[in-house]
Amino acid sequence: MILKIQIDINIVGKKLLEEHLEKLQLDFTLKGIGEVEINQSISSAKLKELTLGLRKYGIEILESEKDILIQKIKDAIIEMVYMEDKLPITSSVSSYLSDKLKYRYGYISDLFSNITFTSIENFVKLQKIERAKQLLSNSELSCSEIAWKLNYSSIPHFSSQFKNVIGLTPTTFQRIIKKRREARNDE
Amino acid sequence: MQNDSIFVLLADDDEDDRLFFKEAFSNIKIKTIVKTVDDGVELMNYLTQTGNKLPNILFLDLNMPRKSGMECLKEIKKLEHLNDVAIAIYSTSASEQDIEDTFVKGANVYIKKPHDFATLRNLLEEVITINWHYQTSGLNRDGFLLSL
Amino acid sequence: MLLFISGISYKHSNSLETSTELLVHSYKIQIQLEQLLSYLKDAETGQRGYIITHDSVFLIPYFNGREKVNKSFDILKNLTAKQPKQQTNLEQLRNLIDIRFIRLSNSLTILSGEEKNLLLGENMLEGNEIMNAIRLQIDQMIQLEISYFNNHQTKYNRDISFTPFITLILLLFTLIIFILAFLKINKDLNVLKNSNEELLISAESIKHAEIIGKFCIAIWNLQTDKLIYSDNLYRLLGCEPHSFEPSIENFLKFVHPDDRNIVSNGVEKIAIKHATYSRFYRVIRKDGHERFFSSMGKFIDNSENSTHISVIKDVTQEHLNNLTLQDKNRELEQSNKELASFNQIASHDLQEPLRKIQTFISIILEKEMTGLSDSGKNYFERIQTSVARMRKLIDDLLLFSRTNKIDKNFEESDLNLLLKNTLQDLSEAIVEKRAHIESDQLPVLKVIPFQIQQLFQNLLSNSLKYSNPIVDLLIKIECERIIAKDYPILDSAADNIYYKIAVTDNGQGFEQQYAEQIFTIFKRLHTSAEYPGTGIGLSICKKIVENHSGFIFAEGKPEIGAIFTVFLPA
Repeated sequence: MILKIQIDINIVGKKLLEEHLEKLQLDFTLKGIGEVEINQSISSAKLKELTLGLRKYGIEILESEKDILIQKIKDAIIEMVYMEDKLPITSSVSSYLSDKLKYRYGYISDLFSNITFTSIENFVKLQKIERAKQLLSNSELSCSEIAWKLNYSSIPHFSSQFKNVIGLTPTTFQRIIKKRREARNDE
Repeated sequence: MQNDSIFVLLADDDEDDRLFFKEAFSNIKIKTIVKTVDDGVELMNYLTQTGNKLPNILFLDLNMPRKSGMECLKEIKKLEHLNDVAIAIYSTSASEQDIEDTFVKGANVYIKKPHDFATLRNLLEEVITINWHYQTSGLNRDGFLLSL
Repeated sequence: MLLFISGISYKHSNSLETSTELLVHSYKIQIQLEQLLSYLKDAETGQRGYIITHDSVFLIPYFNGREKVNKSFDILKNLTAKQPKQQTNLEQLRNLIDIRFIRLSNSLTILSGEEKNLLLGENMLEGNEIMNAIRLQIDQMIQLEISYFNNHQTKYNRDISFTPFITLILLLFTLIIFILAFLKINKDLNVLKNSNEELLISAESIKHAEIIGKFCIAIWNLQTDKLIYSDNLYRLLGCEPHSFEPSIENFLKFVHPDDRNIVSNGVEKIAIKHATYSRFYRVIRKDGHERFFSSMGKFIDNSENSTHISVIKDVTQEHLNNLTLQDKNRELEQSNKELASFNQIASHDLQEPLRKIQTFISIILEKEMTGLSDSGKNYFERIQTSVARMRKLIDDLLLFSRTNKIDKNFEESDLNLLLKNTLQDLSEAIVEKRAHIESDQLPVLKVIPFQIQQLFQNLLSNSLKYSNPIVDLLIKIECERIIAKDYPILDSAADNIYYKIAVTDNGQGFEQQYAEQIFTIFKRLHTSAEYPGTGIGLSICKKIVENHSGFIFAEGKPEIGAIFTVFLPA
C-alpha cells in the first residue's frame, strides 16, 4: 500500500530542536528560523551532547560569534602570509589585522590566545613556516629566496626559526620530503 | 576553541615512561583523553579492531618487544583508515640518521624523551596544540613534521 | 801451411832427383861419348894393327869397334833425344864418324892396293884429322853437356839455397801462425772456461735458489715430448733427485686425487691449445704430508719447436698463512661488530636509568616543592647536575665510538653542501652571537658525508662558543690545494695532494702550548662552570680526520683568535 506524504521541514526541525533542548533541561527561546537563545549558561559537555544529537538529524549548530571571529582572524593571517609575493613586516601585522577585522588589535590578540591557547605572533610564525614548508616541498626556490619572500632579515634567521618550530633544518626537511616522495613512487 | 577532548594514545613498554606521560598530560590546558598500551602487538590490535575509537594522535616508542615502533609505523602507514591519525615517535635518543628515517617512513613528529618533567609537559602541549591546528585549520597533514 | 811446405819439399826433392838424374844423364852421355871415342880408337887401333900386321885378328876389334860405335851412337841418340843442340852435334859427329869409317874402310881397301903406303899415309893423316875433329866434336859435346850440367847445377844450387830460405821463412811464418793460433785458442779456451764457470755458478745458484725459494722447474719440449725436471722437483715431492722418470703420469701420482683433473686439464691446455696456465692444487709427498703447489707456465718460443717452462712453487706456508689471516680477519670483524653493538646498547641502557632519575627528581622538585626543605631541594638539584653531566658524557662517548671507519661509506660529496647543512644546524647560535661567516668554495671529495659535517659542526660550534664577547665574531673558512712536500709537518709522501681547509676565528683563542693537548679526549682548557662541554668535540674531529687519512692542527693566540687547519687528501 503506497502512502503519499508531504513533509514540512520547518516544523520537523523545530520540533526536533525543542525535544532535544527539553531533554537536556535547557531553558530556551526559539527566535525564528536558525536561531535559538539559551537562557542559561551551558557547559561545553552539554553543548557537545546537543550538537552531536542534532547532527544526527542534519541539524548543525553554528559556531559562536567568537568562534567566527577566531576563524576570521585565522583566515586573515593565512591570507596575509600567502600574499602574492612578499609578506608585510611583522610589526604591521597588528595594523593589518585590526584594519581587516575592524576590531582593536588588543581585543583580537587576547581573544585569540584565550580561545586557541596560542598567541597571534605564534600563529603567524606557524603559518609562515607552513608556507616555507610548502615552498620547500613544491618549488625550486633556494633557501635564501624563500627567506626573502617570507620577510626574514637573513638566512640564518629563517633557518633558525624554521628549526625552532619544526625541529629540523630546511635542507633536512627538503631531503625528507624528497625521500618520502621517492618511497611512494616505488610502491 | 575545542569541542571535543583530544584522544591521545601512547604505546610504550616502560612503566615509568607511561607514568610520566600520563602525569604530564594531566597538567595540560587542552582537554585530553589518554590511553596507553604496553607493546606493539596490543597497539596494532587496538587500531585494527573495528569500532575502536581512533586516536587523534598516536605516540609511539621505538624500542618495544615483540613488535618494534618502526614495524608498527610501517604497518600503520599501509592502513588507509589510519590516515588521519598523527603519528609522533616518542623515544630515547637516536642518531640524526635514525630520526630522519622515521620521518621518511611517515612519522609526523619525533620527540626525544626529555629528562625534565616540565620540558616534557611543555613539549606534549606543543605537539597537541600544533596537531589540533592541523586538524582544524585544514593544513596539509603531509607537511606536518616536527622534531623536538 | 803444411801442405805448402810438403809441396816445397816434394818439389825440392824432385829437383834433387832431377838434378841427380841430369847428372847421371850427363855422365852417361859423357861416358858414352868417351866410350864412343874409345870404340873408335879401338876400331882405329884395330885398323892400324891390321895395317901394320896384316893380321885379321885386328880386324875383329875393328868390326866390333864399329858395331859398338853404332850402338853407342844409338844410345847417345836416345840420351840426347831431348837436346836438340846435342842432336845436331850428334849428327855432325855421326857424319864425322861416318867419314872416319869410310876412311878406315878406305884404308883397308887401300891396303890391298898398290900405292898403299902413300895413300895409307894420306889416309892416316886424314884419319888423324878426322879423329881430331871427332875428338873436338866429342869434346864440344862433352863441354856442352858439362855446360848444360853446370847450368842446371847452378840453377839447382840456386834453388837449393833458395828453398831452405823459403822453408825457413815458411817455417817462421808457420810458427807465428801456430803461436797466434795457440794464443787465440788459449783465449777462446779462457773465455769458454769463464763461461763455463759462470754457467756452473748459475746452475748452482739456481739449484740453491730452488731450494731456498721452495720452487722447481719443469721443462717440456712439446716437439720431442721430452720432460726435464729440476732436482728440486723431486725434493719437493719428498723424493731423491731423479728417483723416477720425468713424466706427467709419474707427477700425477703425487697429486691429490681430487685435484688430479686440475693438473691434467692444465697439461692438456698446454699441449693442445698452447696456452699458458696458472694452477693451484694439492700434492701428497712421498712421506704422506700434504702440500699446496702453485704452478705457472710460459712458452719459450712460439715456433713449431715449442718448449714450455713451468715453475712450480710450494706455497703451503703462504696458503696456510692466508687462511689464518682470513680467520683472524673474520674474528676481528666479528669482534668489531660486537664492540660496536655493545657500545650502542651499553650507552642506551646506561642512559635510560639516568633519564628516569632526572625526570623523577624534576617531578619531585615541582610537585613536592612545598614539602621539601631548602637543603633538600639543593641536594636534589646537585643530583640533577651530576646526572646531567654523566648523561652528556655517555652521549659524547657514544658519539665518539660511532665515529669509526669500518663499514662506513665513502661517497663523492660536495663539501659546500655539508657546510651549508652545518650552518643551518647552528643557525640559532649564529643569530645569537651575530656571527659573520665567510667561506671559500670547497671541493668535492670522497668522504663519509655525515662525519665531515660533524667535523664542521664541532669546529664552528667551538668558534661560536669561545667567541670574544667584545668583538663581533667573524669566522673565515679558507680552502687551498697543496702538495705535501711544501708542508713538512705532514707525515706524507712528497707528491701527495691535499686540500687545506683553514677555519679562522677572532674569538678568545688559546695558548699555543696547548695546541696538541686540546685534541686529547676529555682534555679541556676551561671548567664546566665557565663553558659547558665535555672536551670530546675536538677529539672527535681528530678521529674523523684520521679516518680520512688526513691531518688536523690548531693554532691559537689568546684574545686574538684561533686557526684550525684540516688537511684532507684529494
